[in-house]
Amino acid sequence: MGTFRPEGIFPALITPFTKDGTGIDEEALRRLVDYVIEGGVSGLVPCGTTGEFVYMREEERKKALEIVIDQANGKVPVIAGTGSSSTKMAVKLAKHAEDAGADAVLVVLPYYLRPADKGAYQHFYEVASSIDISVVLYNIPQCTGGFLSREVVEDLAEISNVVALKDSSGHLPYTLELLDRVGDKINVLCGHDEVVMPALAAGAKGAILASANIIPDIWVRVYNAIKRWDLGEARRLQMRVQKLARIIVRHGGAIPVKAALNMMGIKVGKTRRPLVSGGSLSWEVREELRLELEKLGKLEAVAPERKERRLLEELGVPVGSSFAVSVWEGSAGERRERVSVRIAIGSKDGPIGRAWAKAFACLEPGHEALLAVLEPNLMARPPTLILPSVEIRNMRQASMVYGPVQAAIARAVQDAVEEGILTMESMERDVALVEVSVDPDAVDRRAIYTNTYAAAMTALRKMRQ
Amino acid sequence: MEKKFLPKGVIPALVTPFNAKMEIDEEALRSLVDYVIEAGVSAVSPCGTTGEFVNMTPEERKKVYDIVIDQVNGRVPVIAGTGDASTQMAIELTKYAEDAGADAALIVTPFYLHAMDKEVYEHYERIASSVDLPIVLYNIPQVTGVWIPWWVVEGLAKNISNVVGIKDSSGNMPYFMTLIEKLHGVISLICGHDEIASAALAAGADGVLLASANIVPDVLVEIYRAIKERHDLDRARELQRQYQTIFRFVARFGGPLIVKRVLWMMGRDVGSARRPLMIGGFCPYEVEDEMRRRLEGYGRIPRRTTEFELEPGRIFTSEYPAIPYTLPRITGLLLRVGEAFTSPSTADVAHVDLILGSKNGPVGEAFEEALRNPRPGHEPRIVQLNGVEVKPRTLMVPTVTIRTERHAKLVYGPAMEGVARAIVEAVERGLIPKDMVDEIVIIVHVFVHPTACNPTRIMLNNYKAVNHALKKAIECRPTLGELTERKESARHPFRYEP
Repeated sequence: MGTFRPEGIFPALITPFTKDGTGIDEEALRRLVDYVIEGGVSGLVPCGTTGEFVYMREEERKKALEIVIDQANGKVPVIAGTGSSSTKMAVKLAKHAEDAGADAVLVVLPYYLRPADKGAYQHFYEVASSIDISVVLYNIPQCTGGFLSREVVEDLAEISNVVALKDSSGHLPYTLELLDRVGDKINVLCGHDEVVMPALAAGAKGAILASANIIPDIWVRVYNAIKRWDLGEARRLQMRVQKLARIIVRHGGAIPVKAALNMMGIKVGKTRRPLVSGGSLSWEVREELRLELEKLGKLEAVAPERKERRLLEELGVPVGSSFAVSVWEGSAGERRERVSVRIAIGSKDGPIGRAWAKAFACLEPGHEALLAVLEPNLMARPPTLILPSVEIRNMRQASMVYGPVQAAIARAVQDAVEEGILTMESMERDVALVEVSVDPDAVDRRAIYTNTYAAAMTALRKMRQ
Repeated sequence: MEKKFLPKGVIPALVTPFNAKMEIDEEALRSLVDYVIEAGVSAVSPCGTTGEFVNMTPEERKKVYDIVIDQVNGRVPVIAGTGDASTQMAIELTKYAEDAGADAALIVTPFYLHAMDKEVYEHYERIASSVDLPIVLYNIPQVTGVWIPWWVVEGLAKNISNVVGIKDSSGNMPYFMTLIEKLHGVISLICGHDEIASAALAAGADGVLLASANIVPDVLVEIYRAIKERHDLDRARELQRQYQTIFRFVARFGGPLIVKRVLWMMGRDVGSARRPLMIGGFCPYEVEDEMRRRLEGYGRIPRRTTEFELEPGRIFTSEYPAIPYTLPRITGLLLRVGEAFTSPSTADVAHVDLILGSKNGPVGEAFEEALRNPRPGHEPRIVQLNGVEVKPRTLMVPTVTIRTERHAKLVYGPAMEGVARAIVEAVERGLIPKDMVDEIVIIVHVFVHPTACNPTRIMLNNYKAVNHALKKAIECRPTLGELTERKESARHPFRYEP
């Protein structure tokens, strides 16, 4: 009994819910199963943490499992998430999983009312004793509020159908301690997307991952690279997906996974409440996720059309007229990280002052002016208004401007004061308008910061000549 | 076991004033000692956590003991902070304090390398046996990373005659209740957490040893007396609640930093905290700004007649709650700019940009232009409170494009109410001269995130942010000095990738 010992890459399947949220979207679940199997995974794990088991009724969990087993149709094994806070329920679900044809159950450490070692041991013992299929222990202290104690794992490893442990803590000293203590008895599986490669290299036999819903193929390549002992390739692949993994692990698990699948056209609906988009996964980070998927080729990049305006002229700054105020220009960087600026500085009681106040009061949709700040609560002086000349159409573009550009312009202005390009009197007397042009495709925040700063300093230094 | 000195009452954890060269400022220290003693404190405690002992040399600490003991001159007991990571150094400092004439020593648990129970016990045992000076144990796990278990305290209290008390700064009430259960009447039990001062006193604490007693010693003395002398719990509770923001900020945002900044705002310059502590770091800028707003409300920021020169020759005056940065005459009112960010709640933050100026200048012109040509998604509104336009006339411009009904409701509802309340209050408090309100106009950029949800927080964050931004506009802050000092370490949160 309990002969199945999981090895390889397993997606912690999300559970697609119907549009009204009341049921499971069977069709979507079946499509997802097909997608990950095509990605080469070694098995499936429905109704785990990423599967939102904690928001599902008993019947729904059973149904989701049955659908997955049916759709897998013997192509790959199925490890059913059957954990529960209550031992009685965990046993009931494990028995159902066995009857339904699952190859193993994944049983999380009881949560909320947290048992001490005795209660934890007894919980897993009773579940394991009630079935003949394999049991995978599951440590995820981020959710349960505590670690599955190493001593308890040592004792549980003696039970014949306890075959593996999934460690989602990401705490490598813990993982390695388990490998040391029980690595010869059970398979340690990595459950933390950010440390898959090091865990596998250290001796973990596989991984159960939220992000394997999205990029099953890449994780399979990581796994195979380790099998071949090609550490360089494994490390390169891990680094390629590191930011994606970080976003998924740290911004709500099921939420970013569902958001990513939906972006990719694998429609899986929303998470259940209280988890909601714009919460654990902010809209700004969601756009970063989109970007990562584009980089990985999972999503086709749609270049926004570049619409640019000459805002200084529109505001009535008399550029180039006979009363011309000087406008200083600079640019820096290459390709999509190239930034250009045009700077006009003048007295508050002159044309620049009037244009400045007008730009502040009349925000142009898509070109909203904002103050240059080194960081919130630390605005630059002389007061500097940034005018984004390229139309901002999405949150990613917005976050390039309200961050790297805002900070870089402020820093340039302050450095210009320190270098004596701008005088102390100017700090009180003048205001500055800075028109900034950032490519809609820009992705590298650090480069945007550096290039904006360089462009602004170039422009400001021209003032001295 | 007879104890020869049992500390009690209100005891300020004195800050160590530093001068511009970051050396000990003896004069400021002496003046601070007089200030707190005059407010009625029962003892003083130099060189504790708030005294930045950990960033001082042993010689400096000894010098501070000498100055404080000399200045106190027997008026109240002096409890010298002589703790150290090393037992040997703690002994040296404790002996010095005894010889210098201190009345007791406050000794923190060893830190950094975390000692076990036995090692903590013997640390105190060795120090205590090397002197006759009364010893106060000190539990502050937030900074040491170590708890003194109650059974170690019990053992030390019952077996070592000169262990006379424990200061518990953990703020953990169940722990403190255990100390009361085991040791009430055996040693002094001193609460070191500002936020639970009256609760601990009511439960049986003998005294409070607090950072906030540098700022509002009188309030804490009143709380103490209400509880211990008059059994007037209602009065103590009322005062604690009234000043709770002060207590919370002091306890949570870096003791010495904020205490020193507040003393400076109140007109008592004690210099800055030593590096690596920096305002804007552990103590966010918004906390400093909010501390100031609160203290204004309590009348603890000195008011000064301040002139506002609207245009040459036209001067308005107000009794302005001034800090050292506030100039006696405010000029350049054609166009002034201020910015402020307040939290909490990531979704409900306020980020206000604000301009004010003469209605006949560029601000007035822009005000009319915005009303004439409202931009879609950024429709401006004239700010009203309960249906009445506030004065000065204020125009609110939403910076995030409004796309949903829900978002619009939050922007023109609670966010606007926050702006309105701040403007009305600013005039009441003298931030804007009353007779100047018809001469200037204000334009406020209001940022409400599309995922914002909590109306109360949106209102309060905007209310606070407008108050902060107004003062920055009027006082031309940040100053050149602040910008020069802060620009290198500035960290814009959105500069970094997730």
